[in-house]
Amino acid sequence: MDKKITHKEPVNVLVVGVGGQGVIMVSKVLATICQEHGYQVKQSEVHGMAKRGGGVFSHVRFGEQVYSPTIPKGSVDVLLALEWAEALRWVNHIRPGEGTFISDTQHIVPPFACRNRKRGAEAGYARETSDQIISRVNKGFALDATTMARELGNERAANTVLLGLLSTTLEFSEDVWCDAISRFVPPKTVDVNLQAFEQGRAWAAMDHGTPEPVVHNDGPTPVVVGREEHEMSDFVQLDINPAWCKSCDICVKMCPERCLKLDDQLKAVLTDPDRCTGCRICEWLCPDLAITVHRTPEAARAAAQG
Amino acid sequence: MAKKKQSAETSGPKEFDVMSYLRRDLFPHFLCPGCGHGIALRALMWAAHELGLDKDKIAIVSGIGCSGRLGAYVDANTFHTTHGRPLAYATGLKLARPDLHVIVITGDGDCLAIGGNHLIHACRRNLDITCMMLNNEVYGMTGGQVSPTTSQDRYTTTTPTGNTEATFDSCKLAEAAGASFVGREVTVQTPTLKNLLKDAIDHKGFSFVEVISDCTEIYGRKNDLGNSPEMILSQKSQMRPDSYGGVIVDEPFRPNALPTGVLTRSDRAEYGETYRSTMASSKKGA
Repeated sequence: MDKKITHKEPVNVLVVGVGGQGVIMVSKVLATICQEHGYQVKQSEVHGMAKRGGGVFSHVRFGEQVYSPTIPKGSVDVLLALEWAEALRWVNHIRPGEGTFISDTQHIVPPFACRNRKRGAEAGYARETSDQIISRVNKGFALDATTMARELGNERAANTVLLGLLSTTLEFSEDVWCDAISRFVPPKTVDVNLQAFEQGRAWAAMDHGTPEPVVHNDGPTPVVVGREEHEMSDFVQLDINPAWCKSCDICVKMCPERCLKLDDQLKAVLTDPDRCTGCRICEWLCPDLAITVHRTPEAARAAAQG
Repeated sequence: MAKKKQSAETSGPKEFDVMSYLRRDLFPHFLCPGCGHGIALRALMWAAHELGLDKDKIAIVSGIGCSGRLGAYVDANTFHTTHGRPLAYATGLKLARPDLHVIVITGDGDCLAIGGNHLIHACRRNLDITCMMLNNEVYGMTGGQVSPTTSQDRYTTTTPTGNTEATFDSCKLAEAAGASFVGREVTVQTPTLKNLLKDAIDHKGFSFVEVISDCTEIYGRKNDLGNSPEMILSQKSQMRPDSYGGVIVDEPFRPNALPTGVLTRSDRAEYGETYRSTMASSKKGA
């Protein structure tokens, strides 16, 4: 095999995604291939704190001589993103006018985007379409790798689909890639991962438009606090008796949605009825028994009458 | 929609509404802003509701102090007694009327100092009474004097240089004296407190529940413990829930944390039954 050092200056590959997607596996495969090819490789990553569902990134730099393990802003040659919001987070690190952008269009809605925890509420998520982003970079690919991997039988092979697409932008041969992938993935999933890799390469060869983002999580996930008393309901009415309230501030400070406050008379009032989920924490912790939460219209009506 | 309505009607008892258990014309109650006693009162009413107790069959006996006034706010049979003696009154009441659910609301000073003797003998007899002791570490109503449960080095009006006396562990005391059910919970965990009180009322025999409450106005202010939200939140770091389902205990980090949950539960003979059967057999013999 021809082992030629073609890059004197370091090539910078930034792999980003969400915890559990396989960011570290992708960067490991890439770093191993580069090292076996004869390049000097430096790789650094942030993981662990992210757990599952948090942001993970990994810098891979290879070249004849690499000094720093981290990539300076604005000099990423290939950005490989396994999740759409993470792709947007790092898109301005791409080398202007030269870098390549590869991203899965999968949306994983982060928990902090669900500011309003009522059932059926809209989640805050990046609004840019894939076309808008690709028009901003020199060379961009946005594909629905997760669906492709799911059709192959294992959703978790989405990172290998993207690796297949990445392989077409680098000079290493297909055999080298397949060899490295089969060494790093779990033994039972070698076949599906190699198929996914082929799919990724095939997708790069195809003529295609950019697909619209596909939302795999339908809306915000209902918050599970672990107690049946916390069950969400559609109807919520909060009754605060100002004559009984003694302005102790407990409900204001303990409300998980921060939707209560003390008014100018220092009596507790509900500021945002839309954000109130009816979790009853204010009701339980009101020492003056001044707050009542009604979860059904019948209960609210009965309280108003009696 | 109609289906949903039907299921709501058929499933279980009516939703808990604390208002139906209160003498609402007496409200707002006399407690200071942020006092945890109100939360404990709600938890007690909630437990009674979930057990489906008849309001006419609940007898609430209370002593003197901030906790003693709570009984007056409950729309049930209530009995406001002398300082330290609610357990003595409750013993007589329960022996005369075994059909009543006798619940004693008492405070740390009422129960452990003035009524300490009554507590240990009530525990020893194991009569079917539920004793809810609200521990706010201070005599609140009389102006903030030191109580048997005041933590060491804390300031009160009678300990201007910090409390030098050792502190009572009331749960250990009740357990050693023979109470067949002993538990401890904090007010910030209201549903858990409700479940503990439910277990305590359901238990046949003397059940002692220590509720860690907070005195913001007198004790918290003197000791710089923050306002009511800070005080109620700090309860979470003071507890060590090690009897409910074996939750992980991080003892090295919280050396002063108190164990919470059900601490003791035994099936010792209940005094009322023993007494009545002895009386019946002695009458037969005579």
